[in-house]
Amino acid sequence: MLNQPSRALKAVAFLILSVWAAAVLYPLLWTFLSALKDNPQFLTNKPWALPETPLLWKHFTYVWQTYNFGSYFMNSVLVTVVSSIAAIVLSASTAYVFSRFEFRGSRLLYVAYLSAMMIPLILGLIPLFFLLDDFGLINKLGGLAIVYTAWAIPFGVFVLGGFFKSLPKELEEAAYIDGAGYFRTFFQIMLPMAKSGLVTVTIVNALNNWNEYIMGTVFINDPTQYTLPVGIAIMQAEMQYRTEWGPLFAGLLISMAPVLLMYMFFQRQIVSGLTAGAIK
Amino acid sequence: MSRQLQRKLFIAAFLVPTFLFFSVFVLYPVAKGAHISLFDWSGSSEHMTYVGLDNFKEIVRDPIVWKAIGNDYFLVLGKTIGIVLLATFFAVAVTRLRIRGASFFRIAFFIPNIISIVVIGVLWRFVYNPSIGFLNSFLSLFAAEPVNRPWLGEEGTALWSILWPSIWAGIGFYFLLLVAAIMGIPASLYEAAEIDGAKQGRQFWTITLPLVWEQVKVSVLHIVMTTLNGSFVMVLLMTEGGPDNSTQVLGSYLYQMGFRQFHMGYAAALGVVILIVSLLTTLVLQRLLRRDTVEYS
Repeated sequence: MLNQPSRALKAVAFLILSVWAAAVLYPLLWTFLSALKDNPQFLTNKPWALPETPLLWKHFTYVWQTYNFGSYFMNSVLVTVVSSIAAIVLSASTAYVFSRFEFRGSRLLYVAYLSAMMIPLILGLIPLFFLLDDFGLINKLGGLAIVYTAWAIPFGVFVLGGFFKSLPKELEEAAYIDGAGYFRTFFQIMLPMAKSGLVTVTIVNALNNWNEYIMGTVFINDPTQYTLPVGIAIMQAEMQYRTEWGPLFAGLLISMAPVLLMYMFFQRQIVSGLTAGAIK
Repeated sequence: MSRQLQRKLFIAAFLVPTFLFFSVFVLYPVAKGAHISLFDWSGSSEHMTYVGLDNFKEIVRDPIVWKAIGNDYFLVLGKTIGIVLLATFFAVAVTRLRIRGASFFRIAFFIPNIISIVVIGVLWRFVYNPSIGFLNSFLSLFAAEPVNRPWLGEEGTALWSILWPSIWAGIGFYFLLLVAAIMGIPASLYEAAEIDGAKQGRQFWTITLPLVWEQVKVSVLHIVMTTLNGSFVMVLLMTEGGPDNSTQVLGSYLYQMGFRQFHMGYAAALGVVILIVSLLTTLVLQRLLRRDTVEYS
């Protein structure tokens, strides 16, 4: 290299990046350490002090049982799994048709799905509440899963549409010549080839639905049906009032753990999936 | 069965269920929201009184709405500037400056983007907590007496206190977008610039920025749109719009009007206003940011 960036420039840049990395990572560590503290430690020690021994691991079992985080956790798992699977089925089928078949109105329909990605959810929030109420789906996890599924469709159609389009057509044509029908060709040839795209979209949907708060809090008012984000938002008010900070942090950690695990294993898919949705 | 019929059957089977679902739970509610905005309705009663554009006339005269729009734009401006500047700097640092540990930074910076907004809200409320919070404890180290400032409870600081977590939570995503863009620039361009003796700063202005302008534009538009459409969630979690509406944004005001005060018609009209504001803003921005995109040949 003729023209290496100067040492001073590199050092300053490295310092700034490190500060930001600390700002991003430290809250995670701090949440963990705080989960092991009791109230006197919060009130008298500095927030950054390490927890005193004995470490209060019991806070985890305490929120899991007494504050029903176990039940919120299972509710979140249920809603996330059901809506992510339903969304991938509904969006992959439509995306495939858009990528391979021209028919009257296909352009218009595609644009309708795309523009839905720009519509603020909050515009539909009030009518959705009454719609779910009419169907008897308020305070039902099923209702929440249905809404999550529907609002995830445009993203899936967009990303998978592009994905199917990028796959070679030769295999399909060969299958048609061999007499395979449209359905068989899709399920036996296209679907296996699209696996990585399907995985990416499913992971992104799962992540979004696991973290979703606003629909959860509007459509669910029954404590036995709370998802984790809704439960945390409501419990945090109560726990701060009763100053049970340690358990609150344990609860935060419980809700973050699955997401951080997923990020460790599927980092590439999560990043590529989320960024793909932004570039419309 | 003829091939033509098979084809039609296949298309229908693959399109119709999805479209039904999408229509009932996305298109219909959005259209219905626009419709409700023309009524006076409390939600519970059967009586929906048609009032034409009265809700919108009331909105124009409502001082809280104007305050909320101002706050929306404060967050839009603050987030756009903060995120774009920092993300660009970080992205250039890990790519062009060849900083050590680049892949570590890329993994770490994205973490806030995968954490639930609820968790982020709770964590930052602890940062700002007047008595046991991080910020006050830290400032107290340098002050003669303990600092007890209620950052989220004072009109002067509350909105700023919402801005920082929004920037913190948003950067990673745009950072990675820009990293990918910079890595896509052919190395030969930089090599040629170096032979000509161009320093890092000059390389940034003449090569990097023009060639990633498209991604910067996408980032700005995305930040603006997601902020106008979604920043209310952070507001609801941190301050619920208070104190005295000083952090109210259109979305949180809609939430309050609809689900706390049951003025469903008025809230729906606010939803229409949010849609209009966000579409208009992105349209205007798209014009302003138009600059001949440079392509490398």
